[in-house]
Amino acid sequence: MATPAIVGLGLTPMSLQPGGHAARLASEAITLALADAGLDRSDVDGLLVGSSQGVRPDRVGIQLARSDGFGDLRLLEHVEIKGATAVAMVQRAVLAIRARMATTVVCVFGDAPIQPGGSAGSTYAHSGGNEGLRGLERASGLLGSVSTYALMAARYLAVTGSGEDDLCAVARTARQWAMGNPEAVFRSRLSDDDYFAARVIATPLRVVDCARPVNGGAAVVVSSRRPQGAAHPPVHVRGMAQWHPMRRRRAGAESWFGGDAGTALDAALAQAGRTRADLDVLELYDPFSITTLCLLEDYRLVGPGTAGKVVRSGATGPGGEVPVNTGGGHLAAFYLQGMTPLAEGIIQVRGAGGDRQVPGVSTALVTGLGGRIDHHAVLILDREASPDG
Amino acid sequence: MGDWLVDDSLAPATDGTLAPLYAAAARGELALPHCPACGQPLELEQLRCESCGAIGASWRGVEPTGTVHSVTTVHRREPGLIRATAPYHIVDVELTSGHRLLMTTDVPTPRPPAIGDPARIVFRRVGGVAVPALATRSSPQEVR
Repeated sequence: MATPAIVGLGLTPMSLQPGGHAARLASEAITLALADAGLDRSDVDGLLVGSSQGVRPDRVGIQLARSDGFGDLRLLEHVEIKGATAVAMVQRAVLAIRARMATTVVCVFGDAPIQPGGSAGSTYAHSGGNEGLRGLERASGLLGSVSTYALMAARYLAVTGSGEDDLCAVARTARQWAMGNPEAVFRSRLSDDDYFAARVIATPLRVVDCARPVNGGAAVVVSSRRPQGAAHPPVHVRGMAQWHPMRRRRAGAESWFGGDAGTALDAALAQAGRTRADLDVLELYDPFSITTLCLLEDYRLVGPGTAGKVVRSGATGPGGEVPVNTGGGHLAAFYLQGMTPLAEGIIQVRGAGGDRQVPGVSTALVTGLGGRIDHHAVLILDREASPDG
Repeated sequence: MGDWLVDDSLAPATDGTLAPLYAAAARGELALPHCPACGQPLELEQLRCESCGAIGASWRGVEPTGTVHSVTTVHRREPGLIRATAPYHIVDVELTSGHRLLMTTDVPTPRPPAIGDPARIVFRRVGGVAVPALATRSSPQEVR
């Protein structure tokens, strides 16, 4: 039996129109992913369902197996570690297949936060309830997650001596990449003037510093089978790790660093037999522009305090030496909560990125990020299987 | 009279883990959780001390002072939830007690505090529930 690999990817059209139904979008993504893999629903013996942030009534769960026409399954789980869920699903699928619990596992995510009568921002603002710490924070005007990351961004800028120019460079670069991605919802150039003219959501974050919510679905098929009808060669998962730093929110503790997410990357690279220098593309979880800066440093992909400078130099953009979020990421392409960097990593390793394809990609880093930089999950995707299987 | 910032529907539930905070706040005191064994300041929903392993939390009054760790001015105002007609501030405060707390200001103010500024905690009322707030220069408490 072959080692587990990613053999199928399905992305629905990403819609900004109000309406849509998360479970139907998930269903559509599964159909597309199975077609891409050259498989059908009867070949699937494992289903992992990731769900959207917050506890919304429309979140997709394991009932999808029943509603979406699957047969008997050997593996069915709802996976939820916040923004790290997409990566965690692939990790779970690989482990289950290695353990012979299943042979073909579909990992799916669908979301429809844009509804008639309310933007996605409005949907998020109304989520969270009034219990516990969240209830206290919401009573203090902290609705949704932008203000949380805005506090982190304000602190980061103050402590590192970075400026809004650095955030602007991240947003501008994301747009440059998105211009080459037909699935992206923002496919126009973002000038510095456009950036600074954009609506402020919570200082220092503008609307273009924030992930672009969409109604859409994404599915990935992980299998030990190598179907004849597959559209692409398999993408191997050579390394995977998680890291959950228990950073206490206390006086004297910093807001973003000190988590040492580099630990997870070190572990995954060691498994993969790769080094940071081997990473051809970096697909980072970017709910906000600020996290791209934080993660580049925290994963030790750039030197401490240099992320802003690196991004401003153009190194992370098209033609640069450290391509980051090559499809436009959550900021400029679409916010599918971790499925976005995962899908882009697969596309780049396949060499299927069209206008935004980075030449000669063989190894990609995909990361997931949950909470307030509390949960990390990483994958090293590769054209080649590990020599030891 | 309602709160200046949020709708009454955002009044926090006062009967859960944070009940001691709200009970103290109603008396105008800031109470926060500490490890019952070693006294370490705990996060608000922490159930067991990571230093000594003791379970539970001892809520007691703390000095209502601290330093501004970070601040954001929120321009997005969700209709139906946010009553303020101008951007408002959310402040992350490092308390003298060792705790961290997010709060807004007690009254509307155009000028946000700066990172590193001293902070003094007072209370505002949301749907009748007292919640911690950053005292502003123009606050009645300052004038008194």
